[in-house]
Amino acid sequence: MSEVALLQLLGLGVIGVGVLILLFIQSRFPRVIGFVMIVLGIFSLVALSVPQMASLPPAEEKFDVASIKTANDMAVIGQKIFFSKGQCALCHSIGPSESARCPDLKGIGAKLSREFIYESLTQPQAYIYLDYRHEGPPKDYPARMPHINKNPIGLTNNEILSVIAFLQQMSGEPITISPSEITMPGQPVPVSATAPARGPSSPSPAKSKAKGKTKKADMGTAGLVAMVPGAIVQ
Amino acid sequence: MRNHEALQGQDPGRLNLWGLSVVGLALLAGLLGVPVAGWAEDAASASAAVSYRDIPQLGGSRNIIWVVAQLHLLLAGFVLGVPIFAWLCEIVGWKTGEKRYDKLAKEFTKLLTSSYATTALFGGILLFLLISFYPKLMTYLTDIFFPSFIAYCGLFLLETATLYLYWYGWDVMQEGRAKVFHLFLGFLLNFFAFFIMVIPNSWATFQASPVVIAEGSNVARAWAATWNPTWWPVNIHRLIANVVLGGYICGAYAGVRYLSAKSAEEREHYDWMGYVGNFIGVFGLLPLPFAGYWLMREIYQYNQQMGITLMGGFLSWLFILQAMLIGVLFLGSNYYFWLGITHRIPGAEAKYKKPIMAMLVILLLCLGVWMTPHSLVASLEEARKLGGTHHPLLGVFGVMSAKMTVANLMILVTFMSFIMYWRAGKEETATWAKLARAVMSGVLGVAAIVVIVLGVWGYFVPAIVRINYFSVAQVLIVIFVMLTITPLTALLLRSARTTTEMIWGRMPPRAGYALVLNAVMVILLMTLMGYARSSSRVHWHIYGVMRDNSEYAYSPALGYAAAFMSLNTFLFCMLVAFIFWVATMGDKAKAGHGAMPAMAGGSPELDRSKAH
Repeated sequence: MSEVALLQLLGLGVIGVGVLILLFIQSRFPRVIGFVMIVLGIFSLVALSVPQMASLPPAEEKFDVASIKTANDMAVIGQKIFFSKGQCALCHSIGPSESARCPDLKGIGAKLSREFIYESLTQPQAYIYLDYRHEGPPKDYPARMPHINKNPIGLTNNEILSVIAFLQQMSGEPITISPSEITMPGQPVPVSATAPARGPSSPSPAKSKAKGKTKKADMGTAGLVAMVPGAIVQ
Repeated sequence: MRNHEALQGQDPGRLNLWGLSVVGLALLAGLLGVPVAGWAEDAASASAAVSYRDIPQLGGSRNIIWVVAQLHLLLAGFVLGVPIFAWLCEIVGWKTGEKRYDKLAKEFTKLLTSSYATTALFGGILLFLLISFYPKLMTYLTDIFFPSFIAYCGLFLLETATLYLYWYGWDVMQEGRAKVFHLFLGFLLNFFAFFIMVIPNSWATFQASPVVIAEGSNVARAWAATWNPTWWPVNIHRLIANVVLGGYICGAYAGVRYLSAKSAEEREHYDWMGYVGNFIGVFGLLPLPFAGYWLMREIYQYNQQMGITLMGGFLSWLFILQAMLIGVLFLGSNYYFWLGITHRIPGAEAKYKKPIMAMLVILLLCLGVWMTPHSLVASLEEARKLGGTHHPLLGVFGVMSAKMTVANLMILVTFMSFIMYWRAGKEETATWAKLARAVMSGVLGVAAIVVIVLGVWGYFVPAIVRINYFSVAQVLIVIFVMLTITPLTALLLRSARTTTEMIWGRMPPRAGYALVLNAVMVILLMTLMGYARSSSRVHWHIYGVMRDNSEYAYSPALGYAAAFMSLNTFLFCMLVAFIFWVATMGDKAKAGHGAMPAMAGGSPELDRSKAH
């Protein structure tokens, strides 16, 4: 007997008991219970008469280092991380969106160097913006961006590099992350990952599009991204 | 019991952690002691990184949590709704001098003491089960919300102290300034209760619409997580729903007592109580769909995929069931009003028969449209014959534009039922009465036409225009009607002459069953929408942040879920009946010694005799 048939039988049974109570018991309170049973039984039967669809979970994406052969493989994994574990899409959109709470990332891979993106992900407060939307001296406008390599998100270095690869690919740029930069399990993180060497397409500091951000710490190449919509960049 | 990584969970959606009460914890420490000792062996060998635990022998952790969390949430809704209900009644009694309102308020406050403890008990059970079944999730949530856990405990202590003062001080604080202070205590009770509701709401809504939390102090992180996009829509929706639940449960209680009443005085009294309960239930019910609409809008804005899962995905059929339940609730509430007009007001039946019939037809038509599914349940062959899964004629009713329109019309009809009941048996004597009636008719007629026009127009504009402008306009129009006609009617009736006195205690038995039916519908609706909210997160404990990796990471189909909804509704009804029975035992004992039962309200005659 199928689960639906079993539940239908149960529903009918509940209704039957309710009817019997109403037929043979005169005491008021049990009669009310019988009435409630009939109502609940009918509700259950109606719910069983509509299409029965369960929602099954999709297979979980695993970051399989061994499967990475090309830069495109990294971008594919980076895309999955962007929309799942990385939680990037919780706030950022790719393309204009009314509901996005943080900057649109469309074309971000073309605007920013990989170093700057890496820094923005791991040290979002490295540069702060000044907010002039009030009287008096400007105030710091700290980024709402969390440290993506720390809890609760806690992306690994490999995962961050993959996300950068995805952002570059999505922007129509050549991917400057090389699969050789991926660290194997147990292998120490290379220096190049945390302070990456400038890739062929990386703009030099002189070429960077930074416009008057207040540098809080010497964190490498600067780029331009309006971290907070509406914040006036000095 | 088994411990393992890939086991259990999906359902902390219903996991409103409402009951961290000291009382519940203390009771449960003892209660759970025995099984916990039995599980200790397993627990000791478990690693610190256990994500899930389960007791498959008892139906699985998710099902256990489902039942306990739902019962706790329903009880919580009841104990938060009743103080609002009681306080409103006390204010009415204080302002009008009608002691029966004060007695009604007192009687329901008495229920609070026992139901409060039961709620806390279930809260404690829920908390222990959550910590046991979902250690990883609970650790994560505790890490974020720790400061609000503390605030919650503090509020609970304040609420408990206020409840004691409110209840035990009732008779002492009856006159003059003391009464005003007592009313202030009632306000405080509701004030604390409101925050007791909104804090756990932040935990549950964070699970559904999490925001990314930057580093900062514990308080800053908790604050950021609390202000997630669906927090306030849920707060408002639940606040109103609690009033509705409190009102209809009061009505159901009155209905049951009315059915078993033995004396004319009892019948009078419980008839009146049923009327008050139904009135407060309807009062809350009218704005509830608007709050629901706002919540759904926020969900769509937060994450379109989640909105689609709810409205167009595997949960879409759920909304047909919701329409059915709301439709029956509207019908039941109106039916009770109509019974009141025709039975309590002698001679009114002939006068109101036609309008009642017209309203019934409109309600049934609207319900039919609301329940029309977007896609039909059809076999492949049937679908081919139809030319698709959309019915060529009825398919047009399956979309939101039609449903929003009929929902607004049903609210308008219910509102007019209430106004009709209010005016029945009275003759307006004001010189401007004719003009006022014309204005009210005009407002109602124009509003209904505009709502329909916007509904039809909605088919020909992009969805975003309909959602952002047309639907909002429909809602505003209906609110405008209520805000215009209610004060106008009140003004009109101030100088009205009563032509026929309302006679209480003449309702037929089916009125009592109608009240019970309404309460069951509200409870079922709460269980249904709890399932919807939880299932909209699909396979995530925290949407997009923490995945459910257990074997229960799926959302069950509606039929299976409905069995649990029915079970939970039944258990809740029995629990409430037990609480009512316990709370009124003392009254029955007094009645046995010759005194009148201290029934909520009592008859006006009784009030007068006692007052003297």
